[in-house]
Amino acid sequence: MKNRLLLKESFKIIYPVSIGFIPLGLACGMLLHDVGFSVFAVFFMSALVYGGASQFMVASMIVAGANVPTMILMTFFLNLRHLLMSSSLSRYFKNSSNAFILFFTHTLADESYAVNYNQFKNHQWDAQHALMTNQIPYLTWVLSATLGGVIGEFVQIDTVVMNYVLISMFICLLVIQLTSWLFVLVAAIAGGLTLLFMVLLKHNISLIIATLLAATIGYYIDQWLEQKKAVAKS
Amino acid sequence: MTKEQFYLIIGMAVVTYLPRMLPMLLLSNRQVSKNLTRWMEFIPVSIFSALICSDIFFWNGELSIQPLENMKLLPTVLVFFIAYKTKSLIWSIVFGVGGIILLQWLI
Repeated sequence: MKNRLLLKESFKIIYPVSIGFIPLGLACGMLLHDVGFSVFAVFFMSALVYGGASQFMVASMIVAGANVPTMILMTFFLNLRHLLMSSSLSRYFKNSSNAFILFFTHTLADESYAVNYNQFKNHQWDAQHALMTNQIPYLTWVLSATLGGVIGEFVQIDTVVMNYVLISMFICLLVIQLTSWLFVLVAAIAGGLTLLFMVLLKHNISLIIATLLAATIGYYIDQWLEQKKAVAKS
Repeated sequence: MTKEQFYLIIGMAVVTYLPRMLPMLLLSNRQVSKNLTRWMEFIPVSIFSALICSDIFFWNGELSIQPLENMKLLPTVLVFFIAYKTKSLIWSIVFGVGGIILLQWLI
């Protein structure tokens, strides 16, 4: 009885996220299948990695001919942001066992993090609800992606179209994060550096070099602006 | 599943799981350093921009900024606009794919 209530309360909060995961999961499974992953491999990746953006990224990088270490490194940098989410939630899990944390954090995704964080901060919420809130979208994602892989067995997507699904998605993910002019500037620098290194090196490692350089430049501009503000105040 | 795919998936799983798990397991109450946080905030925009630019400015493997030759350029402008207006992944994909199909059909 208690478990059913738990499921019901978590579901009420998280179902919009889960519904959004269905078309994305289907698309991701189809694309991964299209670049050479079997249905089982799609399932295996979705269950083990559980990272929408990184799974789409890998599909796109395979098309571009990237090698395995480069793709793993890009995944690492893309998912570094989870450090922040995990550390901001940590105070709410002080009483949880290590085993619980190991299990809980596997399904920590951007969307369920945002919902859980808000619930902990502004409502009555506990670790069990948070776990449920993580697992519902997780199961939705794994099932949708696997089903997408199955559909991919029967449907062949045009390569230009497939590629453009990924590009459109990356553009949207980028635009959502352009919350200040400094982010716009950093994105422009990253883009320019990518082109420069792509032409010079003709290798996908260019993306990693450009990313790290642009983020570092952004960091120093941010610091410089802060110092200027501090000087102006005093 | 090929051996390469297997290693890729395992590698991705490890580098995704560690940043999710370690802070909650080890930090308990401390926060990630402010400097690292600030630097990390710029990583996602840089990655997405790098992914986009490494693709859209190349046509048949060559750098091309000719909008009539490189058919990815015009739909990109459209998708930026749609993404800005709707903030929706699905609409961005619909307009992006629709745009490039239409353009291929026209030219």
